[in-house]
Amino acid sequence: MPIIKNKPFRLRRWLIWTLLLLCPFINAQTLSEKTAWQQTLQDARDNSVYFYAWGGDPQVNRYLQWVTKRVDNKYGINLEHVKLAQTSDAVSRVLAERSAGNTSAGQVDLLWINGLNFATMATNKLLEANWVSNLPNFALTNPDQNPAMTMDFGMPTNGMEAPWGRAALTFYYNSASISTPPTTLQQLLTWSELNPGRFTYAKPPDFLGLSFLKYALIILNQQQDVSIYEQLYIAPTAQSERQLLSSLWTFLDKLHPHLWRQGRYFVNDGTSIRRLVGDSELDLGFTFSASDIPGAVDRFDLPLSIRSYAMKDGSLSNVHFVTIPVNAKHKAGAKVVANFLMSIEAQAKKQQPSNWGDRTVVDLSLLAPDKQLMFSSLQQHPSALPELDTSPSLSEPHPQWSAVISKEWEKRYGAKQ
Amino acid sequence: MDPASNMLSIQNLCIYKNESHLFTLDTSVLAGEILTIMGPSGSGKSTLLSWLSGMLDPAFTAEGKLLLGGQDISQTPSHLRRIALLFQDPLLFNHLTVSGNIEFGMQASKSNSKKQRISKALASVDLSGMETRAPKSLSGGQQARVALLRVLLNEPRVILLDEPFSKLDSQLRQATRELVFEQIRQRGLTAILVTHDQSDADAAAGKVINLSNTRSA
Amino acid sequence: MIVDTSLFTRWVKFSPSILITLLIVPVVAGLLGVILPAFGWLPALGEETVGLRGFEALFATPGFVKMLALSFSTSFVSTFFAVLLSILILGNYFNSKLLGHIQRLLGPILVIPHAAAAIAIGFLIAPSGLIMRLFSPWLSGAELPPDILLPNDPCGFSIILGLTLKELPFILLIAMAAMQQKEIKQAIEGQYKVALSLGYYPFTSFCKAVLPILYPFIRLPIYAILAYSSASIEIPLILGPNTPPTLAVAIMQWFNDVDLHLRIQASAGALVQIMLTLCVLFTWWLLEQCVKRFCLSSLINGRRTYADITWKFLTHCITLLVLFAIVLALIGLVIWSFAGYWSFPKAYPDQLVTLHWQSALQQLPETIGDTILVALAATGIALFLALFTLEAEQQRRTQLSSVASLMIYLPLLVPSIAFLFGIVWVKEIIGVNAVFSMVVLGHLLFVMPYVFLSLATSYRKLDLRYANVAASLGRSPWSVFYSVKLPQLMPPILFSSALGLAISFSQYLPTLLLGGGRINTLTTEAVAIASGASRRISAVYVIIQLLLPAFGFILAWLIPKLFFRPRY
Repeated sequence: MPIIKNKPFRLRRWLIWTLLLLCPFINAQTLSEKTAWQQTLQDARDNSVYFYAWGGDPQVNRYLQWVTKRVDNKYGINLEHVKLAQTSDAVSRVLAERSAGNTSAGQVDLLWINGLNFATMATNKLLEANWVSNLPNFALTNPDQNPAMTMDFGMPTNGMEAPWGRAALTFYYNSASISTPPTTLQQLLTWSELNPGRFTYAKPPDFLGLSFLKYALIILNQQQDVSIYEQLYIAPTAQSERQLLSSLWTFLDKLHPHLWRQGRYFVNDGTSIRRLVGDSELDLGFTFSASDIPGAVDRFDLPLSIRSYAMKDGSLSNVHFVTIPVNAKHKAGAKVVANFLMSIEAQAKKQQPSNWGDRTVVDLSLLAPDKQLMFSSLQQHPSALPELDTSPSLSEPHPQWSAVISKEWEKRYGAKQ
Repeated sequence: MDPASNMLSIQNLCIYKNESHLFTLDTSVLAGEILTIMGPSGSGKSTLLSWLSGMLDPAFTAEGKLLLGGQDISQTPSHLRRIALLFQDPLLFNHLTVSGNIEFGMQASKSNSKKQRISKALASVDLSGMETRAPKSLSGGQQARVALLRVLLNEPRVILLDEPFSKLDSQLRQATRELVFEQIRQRGLTAILVTHDQSDADAAAGKVINLSNTRSA
Repeated sequence: MIVDTSLFTRWVKFSPSILITLLIVPVVAGLLGVILPAFGWLPALGEETVGLRGFEALFATPGFVKMLALSFSTSFVSTFFAVLLSILILGNYFNSKLLGHIQRLLGPILVIPHAAAAIAIGFLIAPSGLIMRLFSPWLSGAELPPDILLPNDPCGFSIILGLTLKELPFILLIAMAAMQQKEIKQAIEGQYKVALSLGYYPFTSFCKAVLPILYPFIRLPIYAILAYSSASIEIPLILGPNTPPTLAVAIMQWFNDVDLHLRIQASAGALVQIMLTLCVLFTWWLLEQCVKRFCLSSLINGRRTYADITWKFLTHCITLLVLFAIVLALIGLVIWSFAGYWSFPKAYPDQLVTLHWQSALQQLPETIGDTILVALAATGIALFLALFTLEAEQQRRTQLSSVASLMIYLPLLVPSIAFLFGIVWVKEIIGVNAVFSMVVLGHLLFVMPYVFLSLATSYRKLDLRYANVAASLGRSPWSVFYSVKLPQLMPPILFSSALGLAISFSQYLPTLLLGGGRINTLTTEAVAIASGASRRISAVYVIIQLLLPAFGFILAWLIPKLFFRPRY
């Protein structure tokens, strides 16, 4: 009887001893991870990190000034925001440096990027690999449950990009001139025919212009057979181009005569569209950062009667990232900054409309309720996109479709007058 | 030519330089006559000529009337007065040839007769064959003669001479002076000569006015 | 001539060579950095086969011929108009005080950066711009901005307008500077009086008697303008069409494109741009020859007037229009910088706020600091080299050969888009990382010609007898330079400094490319902000861009009055 009584206890003791013996190894592994990160933090101290990011939005610039102060306080890093007119300037720079054999003293430490720019740099092996999973805050984005965090326009990021924020195509209109704006692509065409010269889009290869064209491309091909429609998410072939693009050109041929300047001139820059709405030259505009609009109203660039909305048939959405070039000089500092950008503090501050309003990449379901509250906006601006927004999300096509659309658009509408 | 039609009449001219009075003048010159103006430097001789030709420098102010052939031309712009200037420097146009310079001064007309008249004129001052020469290649005396021809073939009504002989050496001076005065008398032009030289005044054989004597108290 | 061999004279002796080297080497190196890729050699992208595919791709670009035609026509026509207007203004206001006034009013336009001028003109002529607002709705009947394609019109009229307005003050200034030189002044005034007295109407007198003397002096600036405008970027980018744009804009877009293989095409384009510029210069030369042949006879045809009164009236109108447009543009800028929401067709904003100035000034101090630092460095070096080179001229008793003089203007004559990209490439190969020095060098290339030109006229006019007297009293060449020549040159030196600073303030491409984005000057910031969407912040930046050089000139005018009054 004593033997039978003692058996379970001995089993448990054996388990306990095994576990205890294994403990050092478990702790050692997390310890070594912690040590690697601590080492990075130490290496990063007193670094000067040059963050190359688009500088055309005053709100973004102000948010980055706040980030500069915080990383200085927390990590002793001197962050410099280098304002770009367009991201491809920095891509050209890294390429020039690499082609001249500069492998460790590159001027770009951290770069705000996504889409075609990322695809170009990745293909040309210009990016530091496999560093994102080492960042503690990356886990906050719940990458296993959110595949969008590791895919950039359908291409896997392979640990080369750290997610920063989300964006979706948002439309806005002057409610003093329009009472019911068009809410689908077909309605947009009909509306343009009734209101000629009050809408336009930016000329490819502008990012915003391409986004409108991609949105149109997706919607126009939704009726097609799934096997054809799927081709949008892999690299284009001559066949898929023919099958998918023809409906886009037919649509544009119908739309262009009713556009601003009768489609004879398209603005170079998508951000000019907001200026044209402010000047009353357009009644309808669109943007990728919905937070743009309330900020613009507060800065008097748009009238108080502006209202934002998302198209009922879908909004093109994507995640934008930060990346580190393979020849960056201050990689440790860049990694620490990238980690900070994904932190709860930075993401919550970013989502507030008064700061920037860019949607977070943090998975809120992972957070405690008091932390979740940090992300809800304090006051709804009348021009802002309504929070309960039921527009379906449309994923970005494969990055090479952008290049194809640009080239074909240029051929059809580029040099004609 | 009726001498009265080219009579130049200066009536009550007062010239002021920056508020201070420079001189007063009231006189007239008949056609074919040469009025000589003399005076020390700064007395306003050249200023008088500027006023006469309608090109008074803004630093000076003037009161008075100018009549030509009985007509009041005080307000007529310079280019319509038919009053020609001959300066110390020949001021020939370097981008034109000798004949080009002379032709410049002539009135618009059929070109054939122009060339003939130019050749004749050049011959009359011992410069025949010089039509295509560049002004820079001529001597000072030759340039002065071409300048004279340019003015004479312009057929002005009045000719103003601002020390035109002072840069010539004494022998050339006399010859050129004789030539100029002869042409003036022959064509019946009204002339005003500004000079330092007493012998010029004597040769002009006209009225002589010394500007330093015309200051009011 | 025996010259003392002190340190000073040795420095001076080498200055001309240093000057020329500093100007030629970067340009030549840059051109090489573009010639090689143009023929297909770009190892970084794995392109190592020399061939003509860059040119093939270039010629196959849709609208390529239109690009060439646009670049050619806009630069030729705008320069032609600028010269024509200058002649009209100079001739009709020849002896009047108005000329001085006009010069003073138009002079500041010279130092406005091209980008700022383009933005300001855009504000003015757009269908929702200030002119339409002033006349709507009472005159035009428009409640909404009309859908007219201006600016960005396909024929390039907006570009021509912008370029003409920028070039006009430049030609006027050079012409008037030439007319102020003593010998020229005497000759011109004398000839003018002779022509007047021979019965030629004032404007005709100017054209027949003065212009032939004056034109050789404005010839080189005209060629410089032609060269610059055929390859200019800021004005065609902001005011020009984009289907297709001008060649220079297209080249810049290809160089910046994400598709890195376009660089070969872009390099080929840069070479074609150089050919285009040469064509424009040649065509102008042809025009000069035609005018010479056909107009020579009209000089002596005796015609006294060519509807002079009409021309005079026209000139009054045009001058007033130009001045009015400039004043209006400035007023527009100021109002925009303080504007709350400004709905069309109101001629005045709904409210005025200081928000835009506050937010701009918060972000600007470092930028302004960098701008001024680079400008001071570039201008300082330029002054130093120019003064010593001119001193070398006097010590050698010979003027710089005309070849050397031409070399000084090289950076102005070669399209900057052609060699700047090449310099970046060479810089990467050499591995130079000193960002600040490279930007200063880049600015120096463009500041040097202006500083040298404005100092040369004054330096060469110096009465050498003062120097000789001082030397005979036992003063060393350095002492003569320092205590005799420099004080006499103080006003021109200050003016040249202000001019050099202004040129440096307005540089866009050199700062952007050679600084790698690390150095942000006011102009690069302004163009970046212009690529955003806030007209109001743009206006603030443009105004500051105007104030900065103005400040420099005010200092240049004030300092002699305060510190160099003759002592009694």
